[in-house]
Amino acid sequence: MKPEKNISLEKELETYKNKLPELKQHEGKFVLIKGEEVVDTFATYEDAIKEGYQKFGLEPFLVKQIQSIQQVHFISRFLKPCNLNAS
Amino acid sequence: MPHFTLQITQEGALLTAFIGVSQSRGAALQQAGQPVPNAVQVRALVDTGASITAVDPSVLQHQLSLAPTGSTTVNTPSTGSQPMVADQYDVSLIVPAAAVHQVPLYVNTLPVICAEILASQGFHALIGRDVLASASSHTMAV
Repeated sequence: MKPEKNISLEKELETYKNKLPELKQHEGKFVLIKGEEVVDTFATYEDAIKEGYQKFGLEPFLVKQIQSIQQVHFISRFLKPCNLNAS
Repeated sequence: MPHFTLQITQEGALLTAFIGVSQSRGAALQQAGQPVPNAVQVRALVDTGASITAVDPSVLQHQLSLAPTGSTTVNTPSTGSQPMVADQYDVSLIVPAAAVHQVPLYVNTLPVICAEILASQGFHALIGRDVLASASSHTMAV
């Protein structure tokens, strides 16, 4: 099986960036975004993912934790993060 | 709380794990009449130096045919001082119990990042502190 086509979340990430000032009131929660639409916010990652698949099936959607200041994860090993938007 | 006992080898705290599609994606695949891929058996390294779990693209993109559902920023020695954006995928993770009286670790929906160069280091996943937070690990040196 090959990965689905058109799986870049560029539009959804742009929507998140644009809507962040309004989303800040839900700091720490998980937002579900499809295209330019902010669908809803959820208390847990699992709930947001579940709603995403129930509402959009196998179409692309974005789930992201709302953070005023983006948390940076740290991994002490040499590796190269994958980023489809950059490829 | 699940716990597991490991033997630390020269390569580190390696264990066998199974990575599959998340429970919700599995349901969506069934709803769409598509087959649900079997969970992939991988060698995984327990890495307390990783704040998030990472999986090789050969597993996420090729064997499980996953598309990203998120994005986050990561700093590694190879990214230098500038954090890099990494795609995030929703998966399920199973770490089988080492003995019959132990409880396996099962996470039905876990966000992981996609990271290359894991396979060339002898494993396909790094189990980070996000997973360890839900399981107490008991390590045994040899």
